[in-house]
Amino acid sequence: MTALVRSYRAELAKLARRRVLALTALVSLLVAVGGAAVVLYAAEPAAEAERGRGALPTLEELAAAGGGTEVFRVVLAFAGTFLFVVVVGAVAAEFSRGTVRTMLLRQPHRTALLAGKLGALLTFAAGTLAATEVLTWVAARVLAPGADVATGAWTGADALVAGLGDFGAVMLWVTGYAVLGTTVGVLLRSVPVALAVGIAWAGPVEHILQDSWDPASRFFPGLLLEAFAAGGTTDVSAGRALATVAVYVVAAAAVATTVFSRRDVTS
Amino acid sequence: MTTTTPVISVDGLTKRYGDRVVVDGVTVDVPRGVVTGFIGPNGAGKTTTMAMVLGLVRPTAGQGEVLGSPINRPGRYLHRVGALIEGPGLWPGLTGAENLAVLARLGGHDVRRIPELLALAGLAGRGGDRYGEYSLGMKQRLGIAAALLGDPELLVLDEPTNGLDPAGMSEVRDLIARTRAEHRTVLVSSHLLSELEQICDWLLIIDGGRLMYAGPADGFARHARDELVLAPADPAQLLALTDVVAAGGLEPGRDGDLLVVPVDGHDPRGLAAALNHAAARDGIVLAELHVRRPTLEDRYLRMLEGDRS
Repeated sequence: MTALVRSYRAELAKLARRRVLALTALVSLLVAVGGAAVVLYAAEPAAEAERGRGALPTLEELAAAGGGTEVFRVVLAFAGTFLFVVVVGAVAAEFSRGTVRTMLLRQPHRTALLAGKLGALLTFAAGTLAATEVLTWVAARVLAPGADVATGAWTGADALVAGLGDFGAVMLWVTGYAVLGTTVGVLLRSVPVALAVGIAWAGPVEHILQDSWDPASRFFPGLLLEAFAAGGTTDVSAGRALATVAVYVVAAAAVATTVFSRRDVTS
Repeated sequence: MTTTTPVISVDGLTKRYGDRVVVDGVTVDVPRGVVTGFIGPNGAGKTTTMAMVLGLVRPTAGQGEVLGSPINRPGRYLHRVGALIEGPGLWPGLTGAENLAVLARLGGHDVRRIPELLALAGLAGRGGDRYGEYSLGMKQRLGIAAALLGDPELLVLDEPTNGLDPAGMSEVRDLIARTRAEHRTVLVSSHLLSELEQICDWLLIIDGGRLMYAGPADGFARHARDELVLAPADPAQLLALTDVVAAGGLEPGRDGDLLVVPVDGHDPRGLAAALNHAAARDGIVLAELHVRRPTLEDRYLRMLEGDRS
């Protein structure tokens, strides 16, 4: 337990630096304002919108109690590949820079080291997402009148519950990407190789396979995470997507832990 | 210097990658309280041996103990060990002080020691600069400072002078000497014995994964044979001088324009006089005639050459 806490605190110390926080705040602000503008101004009345579930929300959906924070959820859903690639690159870089070796000399409990690192990343992500959700809500509230979106239902208990639900959904989605990204990083260790594989898989590969094989939507982790983030699709419900992804996440965590614990650290 | 209880003790330590044997049955004790030089050419197995001792690499065969705990349980002893393996391996975007703070938190060490360690490493004024902007020598010194975070009993340093200019080497040697003054045990590797001979009490010499020598540094030097060095005043007579020496039943070697003759149990002064007399008899005037003791580096290189021939 001590090893886990130390690993967690050390990783958090790397993340909670002034430069990182400033950069993260800037990106959050840009995502919040830019994302809110795109989602609000792209919204159409339900009668005119011919889209299935998982597409951009309609004006009516945005005007509901959870409309303000749904903007946040929709905006983040487009950042899946980016998040996955960031985690893959960050983990692989620890190997290619030799910092894993340095960390293991200070903290040889490898499972605790990996778990603490992931825990700190998720904590940082949770803080960043919470701030981004608030910023997105504020930006959406300011921009909503110009996009003809009613915001009367955005405050109150129902809106808060919906906001917490959106936050929880995004955190689950982020956790899935973080665990899968960590596993790819641990397995491949090289930044260029890990990034190439990560970008290819999370980007075109799954979508190309989806075009030629319909059941791909129900089985591929990236597509399932997208489906979950979108609140479900015509092929797979959000609940089933989450359950299937959970199996992938548990399996990936087991693989990453086993490989990291047993493999020689030679670079 | 105490040499009773070994801090590192390995028995038959072996590492194979497929058919390639990197470390081949190394059995050795590293005594407590000394600076031990772990010497061998590049690829000799130094880093892999150290990595096995530090729990980074699993041995294919053999066993060992560090500070009384088995090497397959590094969690039991690494909090008492500071190490620098294959370069510092720190985060380039963090400052020197931030790097040390991360590692201090990871190891549960006192972060208040960081200014003291930065000063010890000669980085007192540079702790706030990003590690990525450091020179190679500064990076190595920060790596050693990081290894000292837990005030370790045992310091393991892998090629800490690698890639440094002479001034950088000297700074790192001084830093190691300062840590020795604090009564730590230090195991430090290099592919050049000359880099470490001034600071080592004990030597381990490895080549091709096999341990060639383990013992006191002065003992290694005592094994060095004296040799007689001769040079004719006229370089054209070097061949004739070689014949004169060989006629006396000796086996001279060439070292540039010099002849080098192993003394091998002869009285050096008597042998020098006999060769001087024989050379004069053949009309050869000697410009140089003296006894020299090979350096540790000479002995080390000859040991490696002998092993390979």
